[in-house]
Amino acid sequence: MSQQEQTVAEPAKQRGLSIDAWAVLLAFVLAALVRAGVFKHIPW
Amino acid sequence: MAGTVALPQVRPVNPGLQFLKVIPGVLLLAAVGYAGKLLEANVGKYAKAHHWTFPNIEYVLWAILIGLAISNTVGVPEIFRAGVATYEFWLKAGIVLLGARFLLGDVLKLGGASLALVGIEIVVAIAFMTFLGRAFGLKPKLTSLLAVGSAVCGVSAIIATKGAIDADDEDSSFAIAAILALGALALFTFPLIGHAIHLSDHAYGVWTGLAVDNTAEAAAAGALYSDAAGKLAVLTKTTRNALIGFVVLAYAFYWASRGQAQAVGNKALFLWQKFPKFVLGFLLISALATAAFFSKDQIGALANLSRWAFLLTFAGVGLRTNFKALSKQGLKPFAVGAIGEVVIAAFTLGLVFAAQRVFHW
Repeated sequence: MSQQEQTVAEPAKQRGLSIDAWAVLLAFVLAALVRAGVFKHIPW
Repeated sequence: MAGTVALPQVRPVNPGLQFLKVIPGVLLLAAVGYAGKLLEANVGKYAKAHHWTFPNIEYVLWAILIGLAISNTVGVPEIFRAGVATYEFWLKAGIVLLGARFLLGDVLKLGGASLALVGIEIVVAIAFMTFLGRAFGLKPKLTSLLAVGSAVCGVSAIIATKGAIDADDEDSSFAIAAILALGALALFTFPLIGHAIHLSDHAYGVWTGLAVDNTAEAAAAGALYSDAAGKLAVLTKTTRNALIGFVVLAYAFYWASRGQAQAVGNKALFLWQKFPKFVLGFLLISALATAAFFSKDQIGALANLSRWAFLLTFAGVGLRTNFKALSKQGLKPFAVGAIGEVVIAAFTLGLVFAAQRVFHW
């Protein structure tokens, strides 16, 4: 199998976290900061 | 052709260079979203002070309209594009934070009811879109992409399926363009229909979550109706998103059995890879809120953080929609998508009416 065929057949492995995982991480960090009282009030 | 539609980025975020690259676009999202908020607060006041009759337009619509105006006139300059493409990231973070506003019992109760409706919707949508694609003579893989995009969750489902069934870039570009164009239309038509037939917030929210394909547009179309409808739309759409792995797996099996896609090895791993992780985050935050981990004030703060995240999303929906680029993607896929969407919207509306009677919404 040539290098080009390999590239087509095997998609590159994801490095690092996915967008989903980053979004969940950010949400949990924010929730932890709210829980710890760092953000007492978020205006809207 | 594929390059003419701004596809949402699904690549993993590299925290180094990517972070700097997205800052201008994120600031643009914030500026457009905040301008929408300011317009909501001030246009009504100004009109009232001058005795004008002017409808109360919510920040959601203002943010989308400003974004559309920029995208379809001067365009979004290159420096902002990477940041604008993060609107899906803010959407997912917003959905996770929104979990704080749901008690887990309500999620399971509403999610259970939604799950039954979603199951019916997926089967009918796939069957009908497949029939339409064949009737219009579309390429079989393009038909599969349109079917999965209409049945499950729009662009994410199309991208996931494209990889699983080895579809062409051009096919996925056509399918994404059709789904995005129809999502943009749904933003304006769904609230009008909902008001015209006096749907309750609950019924409208479930209908929007069932019938609008892209999660960002579903959240926006729900929020345009009311806050409560927006919550229900996101919950129902999230239930739909949770099933993405099963539908993509079924399509992967189908095309692999025809020798036109790679066989799926580890099915459990495949399902886990395709499963949207933010659904788990949403459930976990909801469980924490149910267990009184957060005080009432803290839940209010998390709800407002969720609103800010959605504000960036709504700005992004407008900014990434370019009607000229979408119109270049071909009439046939759009026609199939449009006919399919109208029929699916009518069918799901019927489902919601039936569910209203059963569940007494």
